[in-house]
Amino acid sequence: MTDWSTPRTAPYSVQRRHESLRERALDRESPLRRLDWVLLFAVAALCTFGALLVWGATKPQNLAAGIDPNAYLKKDLLNVAIGLILGSIAALVDYRTIRAYTPVVYLASLAGLVLVLVHGVTVNGSHSWINVGGGFEVQPSEFAKIALIVGAAMLLGEKRDGAEAPDQRDIWLTFAAASVPILLILKQPDVGTVMVIGFVIFGVIAISGVSSKWILGMIGVALAGAVVIMHLHLLKQYQIDRFTSFTNPHADVQGSGYNTNQARIAIGSGGWLGKGLFHGAQTNGQFVPEQETDFVFTVAGEEFGLVGSGLLVLLVGVVLWRGLSIAARAEDAYGTLLAVGVVCWFGFQAFENIGMTVGIMPVTGLPLPFVSYGGSSMFASMIAVGLLQNVYMRSRT
Amino acid sequence: MSDRTRLRLVVLRVLIVSLVLTLLGRLWYLQVLAAPQYERAAADNQVRDIIATAPRGEILDDRGLAFARNRTALVVSVDRVALLRQHDGGVAVLQRLAQVLHVPYSDLHDRITLCGAGGLPEGCWNGSPYEPIPVTQLKNDLNSTRLALQILERKEDFPGVTAALAAVRSYVKPDGAFATHLLGNLAPITADELKRLPQSEQDARRRDLVGRQGLEQEYDQWLRGSAGITQVAVDHLGAVTGTLKETPPQPGDNLVTSLDARVQASLEHALVGAVQHARQLGVQAYGGPADFAAGVVLNAQTGHVVAMASYPTYDPSLWDGGRIDVKAYDRLRREPGAPLVDKAFSSAYSPGSSFKPISTSGLLRDGTASLSGAYPCGSSYSVGGRSFRNFEGEAAGTIDLHRTLVISCDTVYYYLAYRDWLRDEGLVARHKKPVEGVQHMARAYGIGMPPGIDLPNATTGHIADRRNTLLQWKQTHRNYCIGAKRRKPGDILKAYDQEYCTDGWRFNAGLQLIEDIGQGSVLVSPLQLAVAYAAVANGGTVFEPRVGQAIVDPSGHVVKQLPAPVRGHLPLAKEQLDYIRNALYDVTTQGTGATAFAGWPQDKFRVGGKTGTAEIGLNRSYTSPWFASFAGKTGQKPQFVCVITVDKGGVGGVVAAPAVRQVWDTVFGVDGQKAAFPTGHPPRSLPRLPTSPLVSHSSAVSGGGAGNSALPDLAWPPAVAVRSGGRPTLAGDT
Repeated sequence: MTDWSTPRTAPYSVQRRHESLRERALDRESPLRRLDWVLLFAVAALCTFGALLVWGATKPQNLAAGIDPNAYLKKDLLNVAIGLILGSIAALVDYRTIRAYTPVVYLASLAGLVLVLVHGVTVNGSHSWINVGGGFEVQPSEFAKIALIVGAAMLLGEKRDGAEAPDQRDIWLTFAAASVPILLILKQPDVGTVMVIGFVIFGVIAISGVSSKWILGMIGVALAGAVVIMHLHLLKQYQIDRFTSFTNPHADVQGSGYNTNQARIAIGSGGWLGKGLFHGAQTNGQFVPEQETDFVFTVAGEEFGLVGSGLLVLLVGVVLWRGLSIAARAEDAYGTLLAVGVVCWFGFQAFENIGMTVGIMPVTGLPLPFVSYGGSSMFASMIAVGLLQNVYMRSRT
Repeated sequence: MSDRTRLRLVVLRVLIVSLVLTLLGRLWYLQVLAAPQYERAAADNQVRDIIATAPRGEILDDRGLAFARNRTALVVSVDRVALLRQHDGGVAVLQRLAQVLHVPYSDLHDRITLCGAGGLPEGCWNGSPYEPIPVTQLKNDLNSTRLALQILERKEDFPGVTAALAAVRSYVKPDGAFATHLLGNLAPITADELKRLPQSEQDARRRDLVGRQGLEQEYDQWLRGSAGITQVAVDHLGAVTGTLKETPPQPGDNLVTSLDARVQASLEHALVGAVQHARQLGVQAYGGPADFAAGVVLNAQTGHVVAMASYPTYDPSLWDGGRIDVKAYDRLRREPGAPLVDKAFSSAYSPGSSFKPISTSGLLRDGTASLSGAYPCGSSYSVGGRSFRNFEGEAAGTIDLHRTLVISCDTVYYYLAYRDWLRDEGLVARHKKPVEGVQHMARAYGIGMPPGIDLPNATTGHIADRRNTLLQWKQTHRNYCIGAKRRKPGDILKAYDQEYCTDGWRFNAGLQLIEDIGQGSVLVSPLQLAVAYAAVANGGTVFEPRVGQAIVDPSGHVVKQLPAPVRGHLPLAKEQLDYIRNALYDVTTQGTGATAFAGWPQDKFRVGGKTGTAEIGLNRSYTSPWFASFAGKTGQKPQFVCVITVDKGGVGGVVAAPAVRQVWDTVFGVDGQKAAFPTGHPPRSLPRLPTSPLVSHSSAVSGGGAGNSALPDLAWPPAVAVRSGGRPTLAGDT
C-alpha cells in the first residue's frame, strides 16, 4: 500500500540521515569538495620536501654517531601526521565558531607564554620551550602567533555600523592585545618571533582598511624603535653582531659570520642540480649548524641544487598566493583578516628564514614553515593552513 | 570588502611575488654565477692534507757504517688551535707540559710562537699555524716512554698535546768519527725558501727540515725523499670522516760516501794530538799556540775524500732532530777557535814550503829551471837591497832541484823566482803578456780555483799575479791611504799602509819571491793542497774531489754513481812529475820529514811528502806547520794523500808530519795500529746496505679539534693537517 500523503522528500531525507560517512564526504555540498586543493598539495609537497631535507641533514650524522639514522625522519613524519589532524580540526570547525572562542584561545596562549617563563627549557640561549614529558617539548610562542591572528582578526574584522574600516579604538585594542604576548616573548628572548608578530599585526591592520596615516605611523614607530634599540644598547652585542653580520659576511667567518658563511658555501656548492640526497659534504660534515631546523634550506641548496631549492621557494610562493586568494574571496572581513594574518606570518618567516641562509637577511632563529624540523612550528603551521581552508570552504564560490 | 582592502591585498600580492623573485635571483647568483667559488670553498672546508714526512736517507761511510741515520723517537707536539681554544689561551696546559717535560715554560712558548717578520724568539714555528708543532724530542728510553704515556693518559689535562713516534735525524759517530763539518746539519725550512718553491709543493714541505751546510745541504734533494700526502674528508670539528686519496711517503735515498769512519776518526785524533803537541812544545821548541788544525785524506787515484776534519770541532749529535740547543749553540759560537767553522775546505792559508812542488812544476814548465840544473842555496838572497833569508839561515851550496825539494831550500827559489820575475817584467815593458809560470801552474793544480767539491762554501784560495794584484789594489788602496795619513807617527802600520797605498798595485819582485816558497799571497785550503798532491801522486790528473760515492735508494739499488770529475791534467812531462815525486819520497827519508818518519816501513808502504812552515803575521812571530804527503803500497802507485796543517802550530816537520804519520798508521796498520785498509786500497765496491728499517710506516691523523683524533697509539709519523683553516666554535642560535 502506498501512502501518497507522505512527502516525496521524506524517503530522501530518511535516506540522507543514514548517509554513510563516505557519501557525505563526496557530497556536492561537502566542505571537502570545496577544499583548496592547490594549497593542500603545495603544503603536502612542502612537508614531503621538508621530511627529505630533515632526513638528509640528520641521517649521515646519526649513522656516524650510532643512533637510528631515521630517527629524525620518523619524528618529522609523526609531526606532520599530528599536524594534519590539528589542521583538519581547525578546518572543520566553522571559523565563526572559533571567533566566538577567541578570548579563550588568547588567554590560553598567554598562559602558555607565562608558563614557559616559569618552567621553560633553555635552548641556544632562549627560554622558549616547555618540556611536556616523553621527550616532547612545546614552544608556546608558535601557538601565540595563531592566537594573535585570530584575536586581531576578531578585533579588526567586526566593523560597527557598516563602517569601511575599524575605528581607532579597535586598533588601539589590537595593539594592546598584541603587546602582552610580545613582551612575554621578548622576555624569553625570542626576537625573531616578536618580529613575525609585529609584521603580522602590521599586515592585518593595513589590510583591514585603516587610513594610510596609520600605516605610515606604524612604519615610523618601527624605525624609531630600531634606532632607539641600537642606541640604548638594549640588545646584547652578540645579537647585534649576528644580526648585522649578513651585511659583511667575510668580516668574521669564524665567529658571528660563521653560520651565514658556511650556509652560503653549502648552497653555492650545490650548483644546478645539487649533490644528491645524503651526498652533500657540507651537510654531512655538519659545517652548517642547526641544519635540520633553522638552516634546513641549506640542505635543499646543497643536495638538490638550484632546481630543488628554487622549487622550494616556488612552493612557498604558491602557499602565499593561495592564501591571498582565500583572503580576497573570504565571506567576511574576519575571514579575510584571518587569511591575511596567516599569509603575513608565513611570508615573513619564510623570507627571513631563506633570506638568512642565502645571506640577504640577518640571522634570527626562525623555522621554515612545514620544512624545518620541530613539532610546535609544524603544528602551528598546520593549524594555520587549516584556518585558511576553513575560510576557503565557507566563502562564496 | 572595501576598495582599500582590495587594493592593499593586491599590493601584498605584488610584495610576495617580488620577494619570491628576490630569493630566486639570489639562488641563481649563488648556485650558478658564484658556484665555482663556493665549490672551492667547500673543498677547502672539507678536505685536509695530512702530511707524513718521509724518512731522510742515511749518510754512510765506505763500509756502510752510518754517520747520519734516523732514530725513532717520541715527539711531543702541541696543537696551537686547540690550545688557543682553552679559556686561558692554553697557558695552563703549557705550564703543565713544561713541568712534565722538565723544560722551561718560556722554551715551550717560544716553540709554538709563529715566525713572522723579524725580531722573533729563537726556535719559532715556521709551519702552518693549524698543524701540531713538535716541541721536544724525547730519547727513546724507558723514562721518556713513561713521560709520553703520562701525556697520553692524561688527555684531559693536555688538550691539544700529542706524543707520537717519529723518525728524527741522528748523528751516530761511527768508530768515534765526528765528521761534523762534512755532514752539516738540518734546520727547519725558512719562509723565504718556502716562497721560492712551486705553489703545489709548499704545503707538503712546510714542516720540512732542510739540509744546511755539508753533505746534508749538498745532497738534500736525494736525501729528502718526498712527503706522503693523505687527503681526508673532515667534518666541522676537523674529525676525519673518510680518506679521499693516499700517497705514501717516499723515503729518501741513502748517500754512500767515500769517507772511512776509522780513517776519519784517526784524522780527528791526529789533529787533536797535533794541537796538543804544538802547545806542549811552545814557540821555542818549534811548536806554537796552535789555534786550530785541519786535515784531509784523499784517494789520490779517484779523487774521493777518505777523511776530512778540522779542530776544534763539536759533537754532531748536538744537531740531532734538526734542532740545536740554543745555549749550546751560543757557547760554540763564543768558543775560541770557532768550532762551528770548518777549516779544511772553506778557508785558505799560506801553505809555506809545501807549495814548493807546485812552484817547482811552474819553474820547470816555463823553462826557468831544468831537471839538470844546479842552483845556489845560500843563507840569504838579496833583491833590490832587500835580503831574503833562507829558513833558519842555513846554506847548502849549489844543489839540484831534487836536493832543493828534499831540504826545502828557500834561496834556490828566490834565485829562480827573481829570474822569472825579471823576464816577465821585461815582457811587460815590451807590452807583452807576462809568462807567470808559477801562477799558471798553481791554477792547473787547482789553487786559486773553485775546488768543485760536493760541499757548499768551499774556498777558491788565492794566487797573486800582476793582474789580480792591481785589481785588488784598486779596490782596497783607499783605506790604506787613509791609514797612512791618520795613523800616528811611529805606528809600524803607518809605514806599511803608506807602502801599500803608493806601491800596492805593483807585483814586485819580493812578491814573486815569497810566492814561490808558498808565502805571502798564496792561499790554499788543505783540501786544495791535497788535490794538488794527488795530481803529483797519480801522474798529473787533477780531480774535482768528491765526498759522495753513490746514491743508493732504500731498496739498495744504485741510483747514481758519483765519480770525481777530472778537472784537467798537469801540463808537465812525465819525467818532470816523476822527478818531483821522487824528490818528495826522499823528504821522508833524508829531508825535512825524515825525523817524523824514522822507523817507517818504507819497504812495505812508501810515503812521500813535503813539509811546510808558513810564517804568519806582520812580524812573523808564529809559523804554521804543514805536511802534505802521499803514500801507498811500495811498488804501486801511491793510493792516498794526506794533508795536515796546524794554525800557529810551529814547524812542519815537527808538528804536522808526525800527525800525518799517525793517520798513515791507521790507514796501513803500522806502529801497532789496526789497518783501515790492510790491502793498501779502499774498498773497491760499494757496501751492501741493509734495507732501511723505516721504509714501512703507519700514519696517524691529528685533526685540529681537541681530543677528537685517535692518537693514543704511538703512530709514526706525526701526521699533520695542512691545507685549510681552523674550525670555529659554533655560535649559538636564538
